[in-house]
Amino acid sequence: METLQNLALGFSQALTPDALLYCFIGVTIGTVVGVLPGIGALTTISLCLPLTFHLDPLLGLIMLAGIFYGAQYGSSTASILLNVPGSAPAAVTCLDGYPMTRQGRAGIALFVTTIASFIGGCFAIVLLIFFAPLLAQVAIGFSAADYFAIMLLALTAASTLGAGAPLKGLCMMVVGLILGLVGTDLNSGQFRFTFGIPALADGISLVALAMGLFGVAEILANVTSGQLPVLENARVTLRSMIPSREDMKRFWGSCGRGSVLGSFVGMLPGTGPTIAAFMSYAFEKKISKTPEQFGNGAIEGVTSPESANNAAVQAAFIPTLTLGVPGDAIMAVMIGGLLVHGITPGPQLITENGALFWGVVASFWVGNILLLILNLPFIGLWVKLLSIPYKALFPAVLLLICIGVYSVNNSAVDVVLTFVFGLAGFCLNRHGYPSAPLLLGFVLGPLIEENFRRAVLLSGGSLAPFIERPISATFLMLTALILALAGWHRLRKVPVKPVE
Amino acid sequence: MLITRLLLLCAALCLAACGGESASTASNGEFPQRPIRVIVPFGPGGLADVTLRLAGESLGQTLGQPIIVENRPGAGGVAATNTMLNAAADGYTLIVLTNGTAIAESQFELNYDIREDLRPVSALAWFDLILLVNPSNGITTLEQLLEKGRQNPQGLRIATINPGSTQNLSAELFKAEAGIPATIISYRTSPDVLTALLRNEVDLAIDAYTALKGAIDGKQVVPLAVTGSRRNAALPDVPTAAESGLPNYVVEGWNAIYAQAGVPDDVVAKLNDAIVQVARLPQVQERFRELGVEARGSTPDEIQQRLLADIEKWRAVMVDAGLVQAR
Repeated sequence: METLQNLALGFSQALTPDALLYCFIGVTIGTVVGVLPGIGALTTISLCLPLTFHLDPLLGLIMLAGIFYGAQYGSSTASILLNVPGSAPAAVTCLDGYPMTRQGRAGIALFVTTIASFIGGCFAIVLLIFFAPLLAQVAIGFSAADYFAIMLLALTAASTLGAGAPLKGLCMMVVGLILGLVGTDLNSGQFRFTFGIPALADGISLVALAMGLFGVAEILANVTSGQLPVLENARVTLRSMIPSREDMKRFWGSCGRGSVLGSFVGMLPGTGPTIAAFMSYAFEKKISKTPEQFGNGAIEGVTSPESANNAAVQAAFIPTLTLGVPGDAIMAVMIGGLLVHGITPGPQLITENGALFWGVVASFWVGNILLLILNLPFIGLWVKLLSIPYKALFPAVLLLICIGVYSVNNSAVDVVLTFVFGLAGFCLNRHGYPSAPLLLGFVLGPLIEENFRRAVLLSGGSLAPFIERPISATFLMLTALILALAGWHRLRKVPVKPVE
Repeated sequence: MLITRLLLLCAALCLAACGGESASTASNGEFPQRPIRVIVPFGPGGLADVTLRLAGESLGQTLGQPIIVENRPGAGGVAATNTMLNAAADGYTLIVLTNGTAIAESQFELNYDIREDLRPVSALAWFDLILLVNPSNGITTLEQLLEKGRQNPQGLRIATINPGSTQNLSAELFKAEAGIPATIISYRTSPDVLTALLRNEVDLAIDAYTALKGAIDGKQVVPLAVTGSRRNAALPDVPTAAESGLPNYVVEGWNAIYAQAGVPDDVVAKLNDAIVQVARLPQVQERFRELGVEARGSTPDEIQQRLLADIEKWRAVMVDAGLVQAR
């Protein structure tokens, strides 16, 4: 009952004309930067943060949060239409979203993406409203050993991402793990593989890697293939957006699983939407009766990562608002914004600044509904983008990628790296080496290493915590099970034929 | 997309215009004639950024021109300093240096010499670090913690952010000064350090008040001591480490404004004057205190001496800890 009263208080804050306006501005900016390749939520929020210093803190936070989750809605658009992800999490959406476009199902892909995003977001908001303090306590209970076990499971489960030969995927994952080593070693402070370039001391930029491997490589592939892709069916009628009954049947289940998994990953500090999207995709493929469809336009391959990444960004607010422990860099920037106003996120935020807390939470609903209204009519417009001749479109996309990558760290080195990765990705893809496992290895590698070393440091050199802690032990057992199953299948059957 | 960028630009210009309008008096050819750009070597939302933005408004009014904050995060402030050195030496581009700059001096191969290529203007903010413990262990004083460290053969487990940070080196210094065995465990961010302490997987965390204000105010973690030479105005009941049995354990962080070496004396004098004045303003003092930071200007010479002394101090700590080779 009390929660409902609080929620009413929240809506009274979130439905004022000012709050609606800033929410609308936030989600609109978010959608736009999401669609644009390279320019992500972090850059935009950093850019907009100083503007909010002159606003009421509630309005400022509503706007910044709107940009954050709005960007997740938009970022899949370019993945689906052009195979160029709008942000790193959306790289997963490329795997099946782009094949759907090539099959003339772009409208359906965009439609289900929007609905899946909405469901994922709403699910996490419900968790935030009813269970936030409890969940936050659970989330910070995860120790270094537990993180290690979870990430190891994610890496193992996802080793067969996308279409293609499993061995080649595994190779690419190892390359990703190696690239993740670049930068300053967290334990000794030594520079590893930086080759004397100061810009590499903080590691390789995730945005540069994702944009290079997916965006630039895709453009190179199209340009060098001799025949530029001509995408038919540029006309989108309302009917072409409506998924078939069969589509919907596969939609709901994958969406629900994506939302749950995404919320779980999102509320763990230090993870984020990219890992959420990868994990749910891998999970969906593992349990699917038709895993061979993944990578060839499976609708679950679009809906599960999309619901997961939206659930993850929304769930990231759970530890941020209730404990003052931001889940990722974006949340940290928002906390900085609150500090400027003299407001400290933490356990006392709900009691001392109840109107602010519940106002922001209520604005999440408002924002998600606005996004739904904003995105559905735009689908037709986005698909029309495909009717632009490729030779006019790709220079524009390349330019946007450059601006986006540069804007993250204001670093020219990152732009050069993007093109190096683009070229490498293009060559590797040509020989059937998929890019997605590399990206996953890159994201998970540092987390696995860091948490393993930390767990051992904390235990004074003993490996016991990995099997003594119930969470860690469970996840390690699951990992072993997956490996054993894979080995067993291999012994029984002829190796899976690589799909070109 | 273009529209968004343009909108943002317009908004920024409007803000700049509003700031300038309120006190656009300087028109008789005196410095400054146009907005002043201050480069911050960290991302928005951090301590250096927040304090500069808070002071920046008043500074803009005092100087009659708006202050534009530009964030150039990245390893050791290298990118920020290079941006600064590529601008004209006219006093319209300034940079924030910190105690971290003094550390970076020993950490990186730099293509510039901070002592030669930059000239000091004034200090702006001074802060200390806080030694924090989890309340569930029953430890309430630094003496008790040190005793626990002596009893335990494995020593204390201390959480800080990454090696080479002021926090991390302060932990190394703590280990050396206290003379007890300790393992320093590195985390990526201050919130990760806080989480580790909440989870009770470490015995001690060392970080700035600003970063962990919520948890301290909410009594989730207990401050045992502050590292400054004086008590922190935001935590008047918490003793300094020197008061609690570690007389030589003093760590003070600072943020200061620097200009390029070629900037004329009168421009530096004018800027110094304005910063010292702004740091005394009651509203600036008050907002800084809330963040656990002291607003205080200085003479150019004073802050330069501090920078030089800190370079030596931290180099010695890093050599002792085996983080860098002795030069």
